[in-house]
Amino acid sequence: METRIRLLLLSIAVAACSGCATMHWPWHHPKTDAANASTASPDDVNAPPPSVIEPQVERREIKVPKIRAKDIELGGYYGELSIQDFGAQPVTGARIDYHISEDLFFEGTYGRATGGKTSFEYLSGNVQLLSNAERRFTYYNLSLGYNFLPGEVFIGRNLAMTSALYMIGGIGNVTFAGDQNFALNFGAGFRVLPTDWLALHIDVQDIVFKSNDIGVYQLKNNLQATIGATVFF
Amino acid sequence: MRSLPFVSLLVFLALCCTPVVSSARERLQVFVTEPYLELHTGAGRGYPVFNVVPRDASVHVLFRRTDWFKVRTERGVEGWASAQELTRTAMADGAPFHVNMGDRAGFASHRWEGGIFAGAYAGATLIAAYGAMSITDNLKIEVGVSQFLGNVSDGYLADIGLAHVFMPEWRFSPLVDLGTGIIRVEPKAILAQPVDRSDQIGYVGIGARYYLTRRFFVRAEYRDYVVFTKTNANEVNEEWRLGFAFFY
Repeated sequence: METRIRLLLLSIAVAACSGCATMHWPWHHPKTDAANASTASPDDVNAPPPSVIEPQVERREIKVPKIRAKDIELGGYYGELSIQDFGAQPVTGARIDYHISEDLFFEGTYGRATGGKTSFEYLSGNVQLLSNAERRFTYYNLSLGYNFLPGEVFIGRNLAMTSALYMIGGIGNVTFAGDQNFALNFGAGFRVLPTDWLALHIDVQDIVFKSNDIGVYQLKNNLQATIGATVFF
Repeated sequence: MRSLPFVSLLVFLALCCTPVVSSARERLQVFVTEPYLELHTGAGRGYPVFNVVPRDASVHVLFRRTDWFKVRTERGVEGWASAQELTRTAMADGAPFHVNMGDRAGFASHRWEGGIFAGAYAGATLIAAYGAMSITDNLKIEVGVSQFLGNVSDGYLADIGLAHVFMPEWRFSPLVDLGTGIIRVEPKAILAQPVDRSDQIGYVGIGARYYLTRRFFVRAEYRDYVVFTKTNANEVNEEWRLGFAFFY
């Protein structure tokens, strides 16, 4: 019995002595901090030494110059518009083009002309089918164009100008004979650029609309041939 | 009447002066990092290459036309470089030169868009144009003008509203919109006592946009308009439209 108690006490004492090192007593903390500090010291050696000269130059802000996009053409045109039944008449107009890609562009045009006399009016003497205000032919078109034959034209030996033959088609409005009409336009044109900012155009278009100005609904074809100039900006 | 050619001539002359003024601008300089940069004689894929700029040499970018850039080499040679090739150059600080050529990411997130439509408003043929500015990728302020041409009346519409795109990152993204505006109706003379009238309108619409390629997309929409007439009953008109648009 006595030996059993002695064995128990002895084993507790052995366990206490061997375990005390593994246990974290509060008074052991300074030692562990010191140990950590000693392991950290090689890192300080690897760190770059403090610089002797502090650079006084501030980092410069580099401003990237903006690149101008010159995709818009603005200009005018002049030509001849053959108003069905009312003769071929001079037409003037303005156009704006926006080039979306090297192939495609949007175009908006506004033009005006004044219709002449019909053959009936000439032959019958004093008959007037339309008043002067009604003879005014104004239109606008919103079109999509496609540069289907881009190329270059050469004048002489030293001058080459970029050019394009394009097809164009769109929708719009025609005001004629006191009536507004939904119109379709389609045609082709040729554009040549003597300089980067100037373009010269030759255009042929048909402006088609349905009208009942003579009492029956009729499809009216109005062919137009114009020359024009535009400026890129 | 006669003033139009004169005004267009004035505008033309005024515009002629602008390139001279802009020539004093500071130009962006980029350095060739590929073996060489090709210079074409015109702004198009088919124009012949007439000059090459070697690696590490630089060019000044003068201006842009669609996806082509007019550049000037150190020797003063001017030619056209494609945006695709210029994206492989670096700027003076070594950063790659970035060009926005329009892609699906741009379709999902852009600042401006515009387009033209054809359609029908209350049975009349409709021609419309619109422009939009993005507040977020989902929300846009839209401004539109349209003209409708019918058998009994013609007229104009001007509207401003908000559009909400549900999934801007989807190729096919649905949208709804809501807005207000004014309408001007001009009845044709065949009607007895035609009176032009202007009224306020409100609209609600549902539509979708579908990305095509580069900067282009198609947009289709159905709208319901309420015309707040001066009579007792308001008018309700339907409109559908289909159009071609681009973003920037």
